[in-house]
Amino acid sequence: MSTSIQWKWYGMLLLTVAMQILFLRDLAIGNMAFCFLYVWALLKAPIQTPTGLLLLGAFALGWTVDIFYNTHGMHAFACVCIAMLRPLVFKVLTPANGYDERSSVSLAEMKALWLFPYLFIMLFTHHVILFLLEAMDGSLVGISLLRAFFSALLGILIFGLLELFSQNK
Amino acid sequence: MNQLFQFLLRQRIFLLFVALELVNLWGIFKYNDFQHTFYFNTTNRWAASFLAMGEDVKSYHQLREVNQDLAQENARLHAEIFKLTAQKQPESKIPYFLSEGMLTRYQPVACKVIDQSTQMSQNYLTIDKGTRDGIAPGMAVISSTGVVGKVMSCTADLSLIVSVLHTGNNVSAKIKSTGELGYIKWAGYQPEVADLQDVSKYKKVVKGDTIVTSDYNAVFPPNIPIGIVAKVGLEKDETFHDIKVMLLTHFSTLKYVYVIKNKLAAQQALLEQAKPKPE
Repeated sequence: MSTSIQWKWYGMLLLTVAMQILFLRDLAIGNMAFCFLYVWALLKAPIQTPTGLLLLGAFALGWTVDIFYNTHGMHAFACVCIAMLRPLVFKVLTPANGYDERSSVSLAEMKALWLFPYLFIMLFTHHVILFLLEAMDGSLVGISLLRAFFSALLGILIFGLLELFSQNK
Repeated sequence: MNQLFQFLLRQRIFLLFVALELVNLWGIFKYNDFQHTFYFNTTNRWAASFLAMGEDVKSYHQLREVNQDLAQENARLHAEIFKLTAQKQPESKIPYFLSEGMLTRYQPVACKVIDQSTQMSQNYLTIDKGTRDGIAPGMAVISSTGVVGKVMSCTADLSLIVSVLHTGNNVSAKIKSTGELGYIKWAGYQPEVADLQDVSKYKKVVKGDTIVTSDYNAVFPPNIPIGIVAKVGLEKDETFHDIKVMLLTHFSTLKYVYVIKNKLAAQQALLEQAKPKPE
């Protein structure tokens, strides 16, 4: 893990959270697909990050967004959940020759077949938890799941584009 | 102790996860208005349904006392009804007033049925009050829905009642709407149905008419419901209607009955003894 990548990660963390709070807060496509860009930092955290640190980070990240979304605890709940889930997903999606020489989650290092399922599982879980918590109503389960699905697709699209751009650099 | 610490140390990630999520949940339900009310309503509902369940169980165990209270209450109300119906001025031009004795003539006593039959052709009931409570043979017995029978014999604490479901126990009756007289006689089978006899075939009887006790009944107070006309038939050469009456009292599930003390019964009997006997 080189320091340049680390600095870039911190920069992106601030950028995505700022974008989320300032612009994406009110953005919804067809009232179905919502963009949660801030999860980027969590998804792109180095693979060797200790889970404990990741949990605390996810908690802080979630609460920060929650403060601005006025949804005390919901984003944090979803974030901590996927932070806990992340090591499991890594275990399930082990690439052919392990994680030894790979340190970062990126299209260049992990290839599409690994990255996109990873993105989908993480995003979908996050969104499902978030929307269900927000709705808190049995009759809205269907629409919450639908929203989570479309938001996850949108997320994959955006994160995929980000990966493509960073690959070109 | 050491093992406990080691366990906690091994599970520290998971425990951290749980702790953080608990903090989040606390935040969600504490500070979000909607989620807060949801939490409040839901826990309220659970608590309420739990309490209601407990209350159900409790009230089930109180049913016995509640029934007893209701029976007492009913007896009191019956007394009131007898008084009021007696008070109702009959349609007469002659100035008429009711004596105090007539006004408080009927006094019901609530009793519990402790044994009974409905399947025999002569049915009897046993109730839990006797001469100690002022019950004497010959008194009328009714239920909250209709007539039951007549007290046959008493001990100090128990009484035996001849049910209406007894082929020898006829009840003088009338059709409520027309005032047509007749008497109720049980055929000896079917505890729900009795026959109304002695109603002339030239009188109009309609299915659904209410049958009540007549005014000239020696046992029952007037206008106690007996049953509903269920079927009116007429044999060709008969002089009387063949009327089937659906009894209003459900004998098979009878729990409480009211024995009606008639304060003037002794006087009436004494007077009627003085009637000259036919040769």
